Amino acid sequence: MGRQGETIEPVERMDGHELAETSPHHPMDRLLRRDRLPHIWCPGCGLGTALNCFLGAVIQSKLDVDQIAIVSGIGCSGRVAGYVAMDSFHTTHGRAIPFATGLKLANPKLKVVVFSGDGDLIAIGGNHFIHAARRNMDLTVICVNNFIYGMTGGQLAPTTPTEARTSTSPYGNRDHPFNLAYLAAASGAAYVARWTTLHVRRLQRAIGEALQKPGFSFVEVISPCPTLYGRWNKQKTGLEQMAFYKEHSVIQHGADPRQADIGLTGQIVVGKFVDVEKPSYLELQRR
Amino acid sequence: MREFMDGAEAITRGALAAGCNFFAGYPITPATPILLRMLRELPKIGGVGIQGEDEIASIGMCIGAAMTGAKAMTATSGPGLSLYSENIGLGIMGEVPLVIVDVMRLGPATGGATTVAQGDVQFLRWGTSGGFPVIALCPTNAAECYALTQRAFNFAERFRTPVFIATDKEMISAQQSVETSTFENIPIADRARAPAEGEFVPYRVKRLADTPLFSPIGGAHLVRFTTSMHGERGILTKKPSNVNKTSRHLYEKIEAHRAEFELVAFDAPERAPTVVVSYGITARSMIEAARDARAAGKKVSTLTVHSLWPVPARALRDALRGATRVVVPELNFGQYRLEIERIALALDPRPQVIGVNRVDGELITPGEIEEQIL
Ligand SMILES: Cc1ncc(C[n+]2csc(CCOP(=O)(O)OP(=O)(O)O)c2C)c(N)n1
Ligand code: SF4
Repeated sequence: MGRQGETIEPVERMDGHELAETSPHHPMDRLLRRDRLPHIWCPGCGLGTALNCFLGAVIQSKLDVDQIAIVSGIGCSGRVAGYVAMDSFHTTHGRAIPFATGLKLANPKLKVVVFSGDGDLIAIGGNHFIHAARRNMDLTVICVNNFIYGMTGGQLAPTTPTEARTSTSPYGNRDHPFNLAYLAAASGAAYVARWTTLHVRRLQRAIGEALQKPGFSFVEVISPCPTLYGRWNKQKTGLEQMAFYKEHSVIQHGADPRQADIGLTGQIVVGKFVDVEKPSYLELQRR
Repeated sequence: MREFMDGAEAITRGALAAGCNFFAGYPITPATPILLRMLRELPKIGGVGIQGEDEIASIGMCIGAAMTGAKAMTATSGPGLSLYSENIGLGIMGEVPLVIVDVMRLGPATGGATTVAQGDVQFLRWGTSGGFPVIALCPTNAAECYALTQRAFNFAERFRTPVFIATDKEMISAQQSVETSTFENIPIADRARAPAEGEFVPYRVKRLADTPLFSPIGGAHLVRFTTSMHGERGILTKKPSNVNKTSRHLYEKIEAHRAEFELVAFDAPERAPTVVVSYGITARSMIEAARDARAAGKKVSTLTVHSLWPVPARALRDALRGATRVVVPELNFGQYRLEIERIALALDPRPQVIGVNRVDGELITPGEIEEQIL
């Protein structure tokens, strides 16, 4: 690339393998920073699909791309901010929501989207998550839930199912995980949906709805991490994880999120759980 | 006009005069009065004030707002400053203009909520990882609270970095009688913006000591800001030459402009063997001690430091040159004395440096300082 004053260095993929060639004519090209591709994600990782659905939703929503800001924390999911051709802010671990809140309050015209991982948003950043939902802050939060910390080597996350193995639960997880949809709903989110990366059309539609929703909208994306979560939990490839989603997902719109726990082997209830009208933070501020 | 005013009000008024339009904070004694005032005043001028769920959120919101172009401020005390730490680093790494008021109270940890201290002086300097330079200003009265808060905003804008106002519980909460007509209004500085046309590279600088041009999130250009080590495009980097460039830039940006931060008041009616150096609330005792000592026929000069960081080394060298005795009163175990000793070490003759210190939550009295003026 050889830009003036700065040499671009080769990227290293998360699993250490060779990088794939990128196709020159991808339909999402205009929303991607082609100079940053190929991405670092492993084959079979769900992050590309989640990103693709997000970009599809942006295109369908006809939102002004110049007025969208993407805020990520740190993690494999946090890298999304670096690949989109939109204003982006790559923040400290767990803190994407406060930065996003500041952006939105100081410039309410912006459509502010937080795109980050379950560890980032719910473990270290959990307090910000529940409070932004409680305030019905005008943000769209997309959480890629791969049940594990990817970037740092597969440690226990607050979403890791009980009994699941991770590098810090070598004998199986003794914690109970958070049910993110329930957490968001109980905290006050105006919109809550959950899909897996298998449900690409529905996921894209849900993100589109979330983008249009005033107040706090939350989309949980159940996503394979074959390199770490899959490998330790008998789903070695992304394909096996997708097959698992296919067999175990149950679509239940309007389901009570309390009944939508995700276990190591049981069903994964997906759908739109919450879509309510309630004054958002900015609406209340304007009153 | 003479008014009764506490430091909280003077800082708030200074912030608004400087164009502050965003404030986020979390309640903590003794910084709460600033939060209350800002949340009451900002909506009146179309600004935004919000109480965060904790300090990490509060500084985060300020940083987000700053990157849309807002002039943001937050205020806290030791426990909250501890929680700010990582995001102070983001402010440095991401080049975010931000003003942070630290109303010092006695530490460590929860310490004494209503107990005065000046124990955060080195913490302000070294309170985030990496050891990069910071700017910290320190007022000694309400008028200076007003003026230095404006300067803090101007420095934050000009150098795109967090700027601290180091103050303390007494300064913030004690009502002082002040002549507001003499309040100094300082010309407002705004960060240099990138022209709307042409290529924009978020962290590009011509010389290492320059500050990059700003384009807001939501503005004319595609922008990318980051907390991670980056090259000029804001893209993560491990390449030593890129890393070196960014590190040196963050260092030079402050260090090469040291002369601009030398804010001191040197009071030396005649050459004196004893120089007293102090700052903040303790400088007021120092000034009284010098007056009493002079009345008693002793020779003494005083140096009030208004810019704690970077250390105003040249002004200190000039003031200390020829002195035999330097007295440094402060409400800690001698944190700033370390800096004075460093300067004294290079002088010939080398003056003796003596600390006057209290850590019991009481102010240092003029008498305690005067005892050290021979
Ligand atoms: C304060 C702090 N603590 C720890 C880390 C190290 N760290 C980086 S990413 C991460 C976890 C990311 O997990 P998740 O959000 O689930 O993202 P994933 O990589 O799985 O997409 C951790 C612990 C950090 N960067 N900052
Ligand atoms: S989340 Fe897992 S699969 Fe995806 S890039 Fe990270 S380590 Fe690889």
